[in-house]
Amino acid sequence: MSASDDRVAVEAAAVWPDDVDEEEGVVVNWFAREGRVVTEGEAVCEIQIEKVDVDVPAPVAGELVEIVLEEDAECTRGATLGWIDPE
Amino acid sequence: MAQQEQRVERELTMSRAMVEAIAHEMREDEEVFYMGEDVADYGGIFDSTEGLLSEFGHDRIMDVPISETAYLGAAVGAAQQGMRPIAELMFVDFFGVAMDQIYNGMAKNTYMSGGAVNVPMVLTAAVGGTYNDAAQHSQTLYGTFAHMAGMKVVVPSTAYDAKGLMHNAIRDDDPVVYLFHKRLMGIGWMPAPDGPKTPVPEDEYTIPFGSADIKREGEDVTVVTLGLHVHRALEAAESLAGEGTSVEIIDLRSLVPLDTETIRESVAKTGRLVVVDEDYRSFGVTGEIIARVAEGSLSDLEAVERVAVPDVPIPYARPMEDEVIPGVEDIETAVRNADSK
Repeated sequence: MSASDDRVAVEAAAVWPDDVDEEEGVVVNWFAREGRVVTEGEAVCEIQIEKVDVDVPAPVAGELVEIVLEEDAECTRGATLGWIDPE
Repeated sequence: MAQQEQRVERELTMSRAMVEAIAHEMREDEEVFYMGEDVADYGGIFDSTEGLLSEFGHDRIMDVPISETAYLGAAVGAAQQGMRPIAELMFVDFFGVAMDQIYNGMAKNTYMSGGAVNVPMVLTAAVGGTYNDAAQHSQTLYGTFAHMAGMKVVVPSTAYDAKGLMHNAIRDDDPVVYLFHKRLMGIGWMPAPDGPKTPVPEDEYTIPFGSADIKREGEDVTVVTLGLHVHRALEAAESLAGEGTSVEIIDLRSLVPLDTETIRESVAKTGRLVVVDEDYRSFGVTGEIIARVAEGSLSDLEAVERVAVPDVPIPYARPMEDEVIPGVEDIETAVRNADSK
């Protein structure tokens, strides 16, 4: 994985609804594999919170260098789902 | 270069691939619209229309009451007037209440009008079990629609195929029944096997009906299947490869028209045919495929096996449902049987 300090986290908190009490979700789908170049705002993965699926957009354009939580993994509001190395 | 890479590597679930094709066709042609139960505000209970409402609004993504006869009849009429409706039957099991509209209207009006009208509509429906939804929500019924003349019948097994087949279905001037397996859609509460999520190009493309796809090449035994069971057959083939048996897997992709040629060519090579289907065993897809091969190339056949649901309603209880719906081990056993004959 990239040693660069410039990596930007793909975070669950970015899409976690404010009005739910649930503090755990599940990573349902990744739409990119490690090494893929993504555009800013593109849905890179999907998490499920209280039976609702939410797309997680790429915070920046760049290469998805690491998937931290694979599909079916549990995630919390503060979880880092993956890392993007900005272009 | 990066653009090109991105185009190839983007992966979509089957539901998203279907929706992408529908959205594209709706932008290109304002006569295309979608209606069904819970397809607008809910996004389709199997995500078949997720996100379409926000772009196209309630005029073109329409929720209907529980009224299959009324709205499927309306779709037939709209199609005959030049629109291109997509009408969703929430569960294929519900076709019975609207059988007259489907079998006597949608399927026959082109013929009965001497070609004065055509019926360019798509009837989508969710099929399949394996999630304990009992006998009235778990049937597959491929054969029911393929049996009567007048309808094309399409069954994708991957996101790539789902998009290309959907483009083709909406553009077709004849009625197309597009059956999607719930287990392949990639929804959170019903996880899919690994196979259906594939790279999907952003650009449009069509997959012609009647073109089966060889999903795995092999020499010893031909497995012909479709839908969910393409993935179960692939898993079985992987395991059988470890035993030294080379399995070829043909994904039919459409039942009407049926690509008989690809099946016969494969059987000419292997001599051994296994047909796997999630529909009932009798009077269905398995019998039809075997008959087609027997009619055209009987001398190529050394062994035949079929794997399908025994002629019983799909049970609700999990172990019983698992027992009647063909699993990976059932396919392995059938291939071994065919290979040892």
